[in-house]
Amino acid sequence: MPRLDSPAALETLRQRLIAARAFWPVRLILSSGTCGQASGSLAVLAALRQRLDRPDLRDSVHVRVTGCQGFCDQEPLLIVDPLDVAYCRVKPQDIEEIVSQTLLEGRVVERLLYVDPRSGARVRREADIPFFAKQDRALISKNRWVDPCNVGDYIAAGGYSALAAVLSWFAPQRVIEEIRASGLRGRGGAGYPTGKKWEQCRNAPGEHRYVICNADEGDPGAYMDRGLLEGNPHLILEGMLIGAYAVGSEQGFVYVRNEYPLAVQNVRVAIEQAREMGLLGRNILGTNFSFDVKVARGGGAFVCGESTALMASLEGKVGEPRVKDVHTVERGYLDQPSLLNNVETWANVPDIIRRGPAWFAARGTETSKGSKIFALTGQVKNTGLVEVRMGTTLREIIFDIGGGPRDGKGIKAVQTGGPSGGCLPVSLFDLPVDFEALAEAGSMMGSGGMVVVDESVCMVDFAKYFLKFLQDESCGKCVPCRVGIGRMHEILTDFCEGRGTMAQLAVLEELAWTVQNASLCALGKTAPNPVLSTLRYFRDEYLAHVEERHCPAGVCKALIRYEIDDALCVRCGECIAVCPHGAIQEGETYVIDNALCQKCGICEDACAPEAIRRTRGLVHA
Amino acid sequence: MPKLVSMIVDGATVRAPAGSSVLEAALEAGICIPNLCHMPGVHALGACRVCLVEVIPVAGSGRTRLTTSCTLEAREGLVVTAHSPNAVRARRNIVELLLAEAPNSRAIQDLAVRVGVRAVRYPMRNKNCVLCGRCVRVCDEVWQSKSLGFVGRGSDCHVALPFNTRPSTCKRCNTCVDVCPMTVTPCPGPQKAPAICGLCESQCSMAQNTPDTCVWCELGRGFQCARWQMRGLKAGIR
Repeated sequence: MPRLDSPAALETLRQRLIAARAFWPVRLILSSGTCGQASGSLAVLAALRQRLDRPDLRDSVHVRVTGCQGFCDQEPLLIVDPLDVAYCRVKPQDIEEIVSQTLLEGRVVERLLYVDPRSGARVRREADIPFFAKQDRALISKNRWVDPCNVGDYIAAGGYSALAAVLSWFAPQRVIEEIRASGLRGRGGAGYPTGKKWEQCRNAPGEHRYVICNADEGDPGAYMDRGLLEGNPHLILEGMLIGAYAVGSEQGFVYVRNEYPLAVQNVRVAIEQAREMGLLGRNILGTNFSFDVKVARGGGAFVCGESTALMASLEGKVGEPRVKDVHTVERGYLDQPSLLNNVETWANVPDIIRRGPAWFAARGTETSKGSKIFALTGQVKNTGLVEVRMGTTLREIIFDIGGGPRDGKGIKAVQTGGPSGGCLPVSLFDLPVDFEALAEAGSMMGSGGMVVVDESVCMVDFAKYFLKFLQDESCGKCVPCRVGIGRMHEILTDFCEGRGTMAQLAVLEELAWTVQNASLCALGKTAPNPVLSTLRYFRDEYLAHVEERHCPAGVCKALIRYEIDDALCVRCGECIAVCPHGAIQEGETYVIDNALCQKCGICEDACAPEAIRRTRGLVHA
Repeated sequence: MPKLVSMIVDGATVRAPAGSSVLEAALEAGICIPNLCHMPGVHALGACRVCLVEVIPVAGSGRTRLTTSCTLEAREGLVVTAHSPNAVRARRNIVELLLAEAPNSRAIQDLAVRVGVRAVRYPMRNKNCVLCGRCVRVCDEVWQSKSLGFVGRGSDCHVALPFNTRPSTCKRCNTCVDVCPMTVTPCPGPQKAPAICGLCESQCSMAQNTPDTCVWCELGRGFQCARWQMRGLKAGIR
């Protein structure tokens, strides 16, 4: 790629790239993000490359390897562009059929199409798949058009035009005005108005200013930032460039966790490409604006997603938060004003400039504008990255897009906002997804994790899981978080093991209040949310554990017992064969010896007539 | 002459040099805010969270929030309360957590009596360190030795020598032991005349309605506190 010395040169290059792309008659789009690769997209790609390596196909078929398209459940996804056919869960052995049928003869391979679980019909076009049709995919749909390691794809799709516009016509103050007018709020969790943050950073006194992209995404079951950063790294860079121009920064960082190797690799490639083309470095596009970006890899600490801990980590210190009486926009990295935004926030910036703040502000609710990506996981049929307008109800996301419960059991709740968020019951599923509405219900937007649980999950056990995660990830600096979360976990363990008392329940609530109010950083301040929200909406389950020593979902091992129903038992011997502990004895009838039973549940799964079932257990003496 | 700022702590107007912390200013003015990890001469860590105060928003904007007074910089017009119901409640709960971690520390026992902890509702752990970081900071910032540091994260976090061997930079000054709350000189017991003895780690206050000498609390009996044994000897019981 040539070095670009003016916005006009960028435009010329774009026209050339678009023209070149018009000569590719057939385009195959294979999504190969981390989720795709885990599903075997690399083997599919190898098979595809081998099959296409013949004179008649080599030049006419263009294979574009993209990042995650969102439908992680159906990966690897292969889209044939002129026909607009989407093949799901493609395997290397399917390639022969796809090439010979679809590419050479123009016929659709029916068996590889997506099957709508509701109607059972096969869906041909990607856009008709209900999972995609109900979304507003302003950001994530860009991944389809871009090979993350090919800057040409990004420029042909209109990339860097927002930067060119900003450098040609906008004063820095005007950029901030545009962002403010759009109503964009930080996508990292707290929802701080982005325009206000930029303004504060610009006005803060300091010699240098730094622009940082926070890609230290660590919530269990959340990977929105990974999807964007590894699928479209130039989009993030363009957003950061615009931000740097607005606040007057010359140095930026992408702080990405090392557990995202593909994201690290792709963003490094993108930075190299941008430097080569003069989109990063000195005198960008021939103007006197200079900016460069470095990649900093995080060592896997959840707490480093917190702004002050992240900056300590960037400085090479231990990644521990400090008290935030002075915010990082005033004193951050090296005590200079630092502008830290989440990956998704940066990704929204180029479109706001290109399409205008009114376009952005027109979507969403009164206080929350635009669209938001959620990582929909758990016990729903369609899991993946879901991008919806703010204000969409949880019900639409979970039932219409997510397709409802996976195993036929009823959905019980959804955990939004990751381990620091809250658990919302089905009765609140008409709640719009909006910063204020979720916070009022005792949860939060968070970075966008959404874990759906069905009736087989015990809410006490669920809250305990998140507490355990936070206890492990606490930095250990302040007492309420280090000790308080540990004590809360201890109390929940007592509940789950049948030792709980009502006095402990009161202590739990008191402790939750203390940790919430007295902790040093946001990790501690939000850590009790899973407990508080489950206490608020599923208090009966806590009471059942404590007062009746009963786990309604039958999850807590100390509170259940397996029993064989003689009326149903056919004495097939299957349970005796599978029991690893030798706990089932054959006599007059089959009997489970509770002294030996470890409650693993293997016999329950093995029993064909379903004679083995969980009942209320005796509390062990 | 440093510039002075005036603020309101617990309803009293306090003037303090600009740049000092609210905790220092309050202690200087005789308003006691209980504290543990704070130490003059080293930077404020805000780790123990005992010196919590409630910041009252001026002119009704924003919400009140709890924050540590050792890290809060004194500003003109700042309004804080160290003994609001929320601050007292949070502080009591935190000291209770500390006490369950290290029931044998005299400093923490004293602190517990002062903030009104009457019972510990958690199983005792009997640790010898509460990670207040006084030793680490004094070694680094006063003696410029950096012989001690925090190792590990979360529940694994502990204070250790580099690679568990005494480095050549260690001057064997023993300051780390002197400042450790586990080794603080215990309170000698009630004074003959009602007065402040000055030995109490957390310096008794005028503003707080807590006993200014040891009351032989029930808590102390549970931990075999030296003072309880002294009392027993004096009274001739046991």
